[in-house]
Amino acid sequence: MSDTITRLRYKYWPDHLLGEILSKRWTETGVPVIVLLVVGFVLSQLLDGFFAPAILADTARQASEIGFIVFGMALVMIVGGIDLSVGSMFALTNFFALYLMHVLAWPVFAAVPATLLFGAALGAVNGILIGYFRLRAFITTLITLIIYRAAYDLLIFDYSTQIAAGFPDSAVWDFLGLGEVFGIPIIAIVYVALAIFGHIFLTRLRPGWHITAIGGSRRSAYNSGIAVRRTIAMCYVASGVLSALGGVFFASRLATVGGDIGVGLEVLVLTAAVLGGISLGGGNGSVTKAVVGTLIVLLITNSLVSLSVPGGVNRMVLAGILILAAVIDIRWLKNRHRIISKVYVAPSYHDMPELPSTAPDSGTAWAQNDKLRNVDAIGLGEIEAPEDVLLDRHDNLFAGSRHGDIIRFFPPDYKRWEVYAHIGGQPLGMAFDRNDNLYVCIGGMGLYRITPERKVEKATDETNRSWASVTDDSRLRLADDLDIADDGRIFFSEATVRYEMHEWPVDGLEARGNGRIICYDPNTNTTHTAVRGLKFPNGICIAKDGQSILFAETFGCSVKRYWFDGPNKGKVEIVMENLPGYPDNINLSSDGHYWLAMVGMRCPALDLAWRMPGFRKRMAKRVPVDEWLFPNINTGCVIKFNEQGEVLESLWDLGGVNHPMITSMREHKGYLYLGGILNNRIGRYKLEGADPNFVQYDLRWGKAK
Amino acid sequence: MQALRNLSDRFLGRGEAAITVPPMDGALKPNRLIEDAELLATLDAPEDLATDGKSLYVADGKRVLRWQDGGGAEVATFDGPVTAIACLPDGGMVVAVDGREIRVVGGNGDGKRWNAAGGRPFVAVNALSVAEDGRILATDGSRDHPSERWCHDLMGLGRSGRAIAIPPAGEPVEIAAGLEYAFGICPVGSDAWISESWRHRVVAVPGGGGKARPVLARLPGYPSRLTPASEGGFWLTVFITRTQLVEFVLREPQYRKRMMKEIDPRYWVSPALNSGNTFLEPLQGAHIKTMGILKPWAPPRSYGLVVRLSADGLPRYSLHSRVDGTNHGVVAAIEHDGALYMIAKGPKRLLRLSQQEIERGLRA
Repeated sequence: MSDTITRLRYKYWPDHLLGEILSKRWTETGVPVIVLLVVGFVLSQLLDGFFAPAILADTARQASEIGFIVFGMALVMIVGGIDLSVGSMFALTNFFALYLMHVLAWPVFAAVPATLLFGAALGAVNGILIGYFRLRAFITTLITLIIYRAAYDLLIFDYSTQIAAGFPDSAVWDFLGLGEVFGIPIIAIVYVALAIFGHIFLTRLRPGWHITAIGGSRRSAYNSGIAVRRTIAMCYVASGVLSALGGVFFASRLATVGGDIGVGLEVLVLTAAVLGGISLGGGNGSVTKAVVGTLIVLLITNSLVSLSVPGGVNRMVLAGILILAAVIDIRWLKNRHRIISKVYVAPSYHDMPELPSTAPDSGTAWAQNDKLRNVDAIGLGEIEAPEDVLLDRHDNLFAGSRHGDIIRFFPPDYKRWEVYAHIGGQPLGMAFDRNDNLYVCIGGMGLYRITPERKVEKATDETNRSWASVTDDSRLRLADDLDIADDGRIFFSEATVRYEMHEWPVDGLEARGNGRIICYDPNTNTTHTAVRGLKFPNGICIAKDGQSILFAETFGCSVKRYWFDGPNKGKVEIVMENLPGYPDNINLSSDGHYWLAMVGMRCPALDLAWRMPGFRKRMAKRVPVDEWLFPNINTGCVIKFNEQGEVLESLWDLGGVNHPMITSMREHKGYLYLGGILNNRIGRYKLEGADPNFVQYDLRWGKAK
Repeated sequence: MQALRNLSDRFLGRGEAAITVPPMDGALKPNRLIEDAELLATLDAPEDLATDGKSLYVADGKRVLRWQDGGGAEVATFDGPVTAIACLPDGGMVVAVDGREIRVVGGNGDGKRWNAAGGRPFVAVNALSVAEDGRILATDGSRDHPSERWCHDLMGLGRSGRAIAIPPAGEPVEIAAGLEYAFGICPVGSDAWISESWRHRVVAVPGGGGKARPVLARLPGYPSRLTPASEGGFWLTVFITRTQLVEFVLREPQYRKRMMKEIDPRYWVSPALNSGNTFLEPLQGAHIKTMGILKPWAPPRSYGLVVRLSADGLPRYSLHSRVDGTNHGVVAAIEHDGALYMIAKGPKRLLRLSQQEIERGLRA
């Protein structure tokens, strides 16, 4: 009963999505967006006319003015600094614009650029001191905050009456302040345009990347040749310009030089930036975050004002939000990877029927024996990790090694060997095509081809991205084994899309259908996913009908058939299920059947754990990987089965004394060659009564001329 | 408050919920001494060792053998397996049969039998020793499981072990009860030192009974029989060792109960006296043979460990057979004639390690 509930719960609730979503960078923006929506909703319920057009327009104007300054602050924060002088610069540029317009009566087209230049000059003071003289950003901008503020106070003392008396007769100036296009304030349009540009700048343009790189690691950025000092200085200049832009619009809208303009603005702006998710530590921020943070802060402060909350309380609320956001920011950045790694692993409910007996007296074809105890070892201690073994029509023996090489052993005794080709990743499954190209699945890299001239070429390393998948599954993570159809199409398995090759135990712990079968067509050089949702698909073999493949699902403990042609095209059918072990590679045998390698055998304790996902999840969190309950891959066997899925015989090496772990086998001229991914040898076993002339290559592609 | 603490501990894996195991370091630094020890014999069902200073006695199945000239001579046979033996100063011997009865054979008290203490019958008498004042000391591992089913008691979180004292003339009395498995007892002055296996510690209990005081705690394994060493101090056998996986399973009631119900005990996630016999046993990550080698530092499902304690109960050095070895499950170690004799119950072996070999091995 409770088992049924567990089964349904894990079947329909997508546990694995949480970790996948959290590991996306955009989730960091997602949280502030959700906060914004909640705040917006709550306030709209609390306040009447919250969404009235006039109110909205006013909010948009304020948001944009502050938003420009937040952009500047964001830039400075991303590059790894802070700019406290934004409020003073805002006030001073506001004064400057009004002085030019009201007192000197400059034309708008001269006054606005002049004001922006003035802002740039103010910012340049910070920029030079911090960028080139390497003063501390906090102290420097604190000092400029005081100096600029003092200058502002002195200036308004002298000129405030003149400014108040002046009246610039300029329609453009008024339009800047109060104009609308299709009911949208002009400032908001400028803001949106700037936001779009800023996004492109930060994410697509070189200077934007430089800024993020410097904030992420100043030293590394310097070492990779980025002009660190100039870039930092320019960020402060940009902050000054953006403050000036805010000041211009503010001046044109209100035309006031009150003493409290820009006081405490830096806290508001800083709060907006941090709340949006721009990290105080640098290297992490986006325009979206700046916009969202601005809106949240403005909505809160405005609503507090309209609720007639005293100014002091207003500031306190802001400060409270700032400290909360800063704490979350720091804790999240510090623990992000830990949290994701804990949440990412999502075991599924995997019910295996009762374990079939393989006892020596079980009277089945599975009965354990010691036939493989006396296999010859080829390349003992010389080859490491031959996952697959392959022989060509000239009796050369090929095998992969964990050093990223394809090794060729020379007949007849296979004592002499050479590095046939160096690829760089761990070679797994191998097969020859009709033209003697050697196709190899490389874990972590994809499908590669070695031409008869020993040239290494990439065949494919990506497939079509599936729409329903959160993680990007277009890249190949663990191409495992392959076989080649008569028309040259290559079918290969990708064991898992959620983990890297060395993390296969985690995939085994999850026991979810994370794997798939992919088809690469060399004639058109296209790749597509044929079957998905498989539990660690592994070995692949073209069936004798030439229209289907047999494939093994390692953690599904089954062998299935997939038709890629003919009347059943697209169908998947079970050939063998509830195997007592974990199937790996499949290959043809000389008597018309199939060989299947069992990389390991099931044990009752893990079978039980597979039915208890919660237990496995806690194990993954609390027990180190080396101590996890693992699939037993120390003992394996080789079986022979027929087209109907009946097991005909089995070959064992109990205890794995001579040949621990078998991931593949290949029959060739009366011998069976054995590979194992964690072995330091290739096994060779004399098959009694097997066809002494059997060569797999000839069977597939015809006798060599 | 305590409940809250427990809850947060369980959530965060701290305190009692922590599955960490003390490392084998310092005095417990591994070596291969037990693995390389001289193999004297492979027996049918060796269980315990005893010496009267002149001869070495071995409990093997239903028999007690006197070990001499490289072979065993049968001294006595019983109607059930002998689970513990000890020599009496008067030349007799005290024997636990089937864990349910303590008998005296030979000597002045020949023929005496006891099968209960404190109104509770013996179930798993697994260690015997004799104090200087002639009292017989015994441990009765569990109320629920006979001694060969110790694993059921461990995985069932048993805490019904007790220690028993039998005065020279009188009836058995409990001197300690409610122990998380009692396996091994040794008189020390007026106290008795008892191995409380499932709590990974050795406790001292006053001879007349009373509060248990830990002598040695936080062992990386489950202590068992304890015998005096000739130069002062003790030999403590640690018959199985801890792993994080077992600690974890012990804290997972649902899995533990289903495992005990549905799976053959030989294939449980639990410590064992030997391992690696079949792929049906659970396998842990580090157990995977890589390049043909099983790492000796893999988590031990079975292990061979004897710890030499000083007179005040602190480990001085230790003898090991590591994960890649076979002399696992050492349940008895006794010093006799300048050598340490041990029973590795996993491979059913009687082993011998001379004092010189130990000294040489530790220097290496």
